[in-house]
Amino acid sequence: MRLIKLMFAVAMLMFIASPAIHAEEAYLNYKSYCMQCHGMHGKGDGVNVPAMNILPRDHSDNKYMMSRSNTEIYKAIKFGGPAINKSVKMPAWGDTFTEEELTQLVGHIRSLCCEKELVRGVNFR
Amino acid sequence: MKRFLLFAVVAVFISPAFAGAGESGTEILKNRCASCHDLKGPAPQTIRQLWKRDAPDLFYAGNKFRREWLVAWLQKPVRIRPAGVNYLRNINSTPPENQKTKSGRKFDVLYGKVLKPLKHATLNKAEAMAVTDALMELKPHYDLVANVKLDTTKKVTLDQGEVLIDKVYGCQSCHQIEPGYGGYTGAELYTAGRRLQPEYMLSYIKRPRSWDPKIWMPNGHVKPADLQKIVNYLILLSKEDFDASN
Repeated sequence: MRLIKLMFAVAMLMFIASPAIHAEEAYLNYKSYCMQCHGMHGKGDGVNVPAMNILPRDHSDNKYMMSRSNTEIYKAIKFGGPAINKSVKMPAWGDTFTEEELTQLVGHIRSLCCEKELVRGVNFR
Repeated sequence: MKRFLLFAVVAVFISPAFAGAGESGTEILKNRCASCHDLKGPAPQTIRQLWKRDAPDLFYAGNKFRREWLVAWLQKPVRIRPAGVNYLRNINSTPPENQKTKSGRKFDVLYGKVLKPLKHATLNKAEAMAVTDALMELKPHYDLVANVKLDTTKKVTLDQGEVLIDKVYGCQSCHQIEPGYGGYTGAELYTAGRRLQPEYMLSYIKRPRSWDPKIWMPNGHVKPADLQKIVNYLILLSKEDFDASN
């Protein structure tokens, strides 16, 4: 009985802890690869931007980001801007991230733009 | 005469040539470079390891650098990546709306030691030659450059090259093709042709991951013909004299 209880506790812990670990990994990836252009707070104001003729997306822009589906965000990261008719300045990161990391990154971007909608449980498709 | 002798003795003692005369290139590397540079490999395999990197990895220097450039650079080191090797250590965020500075900056900015000239050990000529010889021996990635060859018939003009770098593949977002013209987080491109071996450039641009698994340079899926053109352009670009135009 004790063993079962212990196993149950461990399972619960894993259930609680794993999304947090994913969030941290996604944040670390965002910080390492996206921040140079999308900025430290994801507002599209990265250190490289002054030299650009096309500005990176402001990930905190709720109105615009809500008009995009998760699939589009995923495509933009994996295949680059041209895959969703956007600029080549957004490179394809498909060779850098695993599928899992890509999905986590989409989740991270959603947490930057659409926290209220996440809490409400909106289906981002 | 006595004063002259004293001067001569002091000069010999403080001269780095004397101090370095006993050290071989490998020893200099081990004693003075290994604390910051990775001389053994492999390249960082996780993002956390990558952020601990203090200086560029040198364990594949023999596959990467051109000898003449190394000798000259070691005697007069200058910064190659405007935002440093680990850019996240050297950027500062945009101030919030209500705390705008007088300059009215709107973007993240470089700060800290990258704004000052590079601090790097300077070697004398003999040491630089010895260290370069030792570095050129480090060739673990022979497999990556074995089947790569620069096709010099794929010539481009400076303008055509700039279109490729800026408009077609967007490299200029992170790399500068002229001093102060381009992004900060990548290495400067206007010296790349002088710095790097053509085979290394071809192989690295084709798939940065195979050299440095976690680096923040994406695989641009550059078409083979364009790849040759880009490297030819970089070599052409490095022959420009940018000091003259500024």
